[in-house]
This record gives sequence, C-alpha cells and structure tokens, in this order.
Amino acid sequence: MTITVRVFAMLRDAMGTEACRLALSPGARARHAGVELARRYPSAHRWLGVARPALNREYCSWAAKLRDGDELCLLPPVSGG
Amino acid sequence: MGYLTFEPLDWAELRALQEGPDACTGAVVTFMGVVRADRDSRGTVRALCYEAFGEMAESQIGRIVGEVLSRWPGIGVVVRHRVGLVSAGEASLMVGVASAHRDEAYVACRELVEAIKRDVPIWKRVLYEDGTACWAAEAASSSDEPAGARSGCGSG
Repeated sequence: MTITVRVFAMLRDAMGTEACRLALSPGARARHAGVELARRYPSAHRWLGVARPALNREYCSWAAKLRDGDELCLLPPVSGG
Repeated sequence: MGYLTFEPLDWAELRALQEGPDACTGAVVTFMGVVRADRDSRGTVRALCYEAFGEMAESQIGRIVGEVLSRWPGIGVVVRHRVGLVSAGEASLMVGVASAHRDEAYVACRELVEAIKRDVPIWKRVLYEDGTACWAAEAASSSDEPAGARSGCGSG
C-alpha cells in the first residue's frame, strides 16, 4: 500500500521536502512510516523522534493502522500562542 | 469558522462579548498573547513568524472550542490566532470568554489558551534584529539560561 506523508516546520526543513509517498507493507502502522522516514532522512532524526502523528487530519497514536491512500502528517512540537 | 488570521487582532471582538443576546453576561475574561522582544544568546527578537497547518489548526481550535462550550453551555467564546509575521509588541493570540459568573469564565479561558498552545499545529520562527532566524524550539534549546527559567521566545 502507498501513503502520503506530510511534514511541517522544522521537520520539513530537516527533510528538505514537505511531502513524500511511502510504500509500506499491508498492516503497517504509523510507527513503521516513522521508521522508514528516519532511514531515508537521517538528518531529520532529531525532530522525527519528538513528532506527533496525525492521520487524515486527526491526531493518532504511533500504533494507528494505516490504509492505502492515507495521509499521515508528522507534526514537530507545536509552539502556537 | 476562521480562527486564524493574517490581520492584526481586533479588541472590538472581545468588547462585543460584553453584549450577550439576552443580557445575562456577568463576566468577561480575556487573554492576549503578545510577542516579547526577548534577548537570548542569538540576539534580540524583532518578530515571530507563525506558520500553521491551516486546515488542521482550524479544526483543532474548533474541537477545543466545542469541548469548552459543551462543558459550560451558554458561555460566549472568541478565539483568534495570528499567522504570518507578528512584530514584537503585537498580539498573536486573543481569547475571550463571557459567562454569567466569573468562575467559569476564568477556568474556560485558561483551558482554551492551554489547549490551543498544546494541540494546535502552529509553529513560530524567531526573527532577530540582526536578520538571522531560527525555529522557536531551536532558540529555546540554545538558550544560555538555566532550564526552567524560560519557555523559549514567544508570547504569553
């Protein structure tokens, strides 16, 4: 299955891209996407380690199951206000 | 509902909370987060540039407001958050709560502010007087001040 990953702010800067597509095994969970991104983008390790996942615009856990076509957003620590 | 705005925040929206539809408002509590001209090891802060994941930020603020309204039915709520460039001294976040009595207005206002700062996907980039810039999280981690003495460049 294939998912889209979107990243923001310092995580986007560290990865050098704001989105990418990942091919994952059926049954993959959000954490598997995180592991694959850490392998592809070692320079982003610092922010991947503290990012919060959101699936289809809702916060989720790293154990959330992914489905083909999902949009997984990885949000580094927010600082609004 | 547009909770995010590129425009300067308008105090008139908070004043409007005073005029409830059935004149039952007895208290209005307001919070304005203002960008500080902080000094850290990198220099003096000139402005903050707020970046949002717009769709999710709007939906998250909507969820937070909905939860507060369901907990205290009948209160009035205003929330506005700036995005883009906000100079030191300007307001970046405006929250107001109107209610019949002050207790729920204080609590609801604080709950809104804390939840917004915790859950809404907005990030700030710190712009210094010398033209350099970095993300607020990086400014906080490079501070010379002892841990706990500050929470990084920002507001509130």
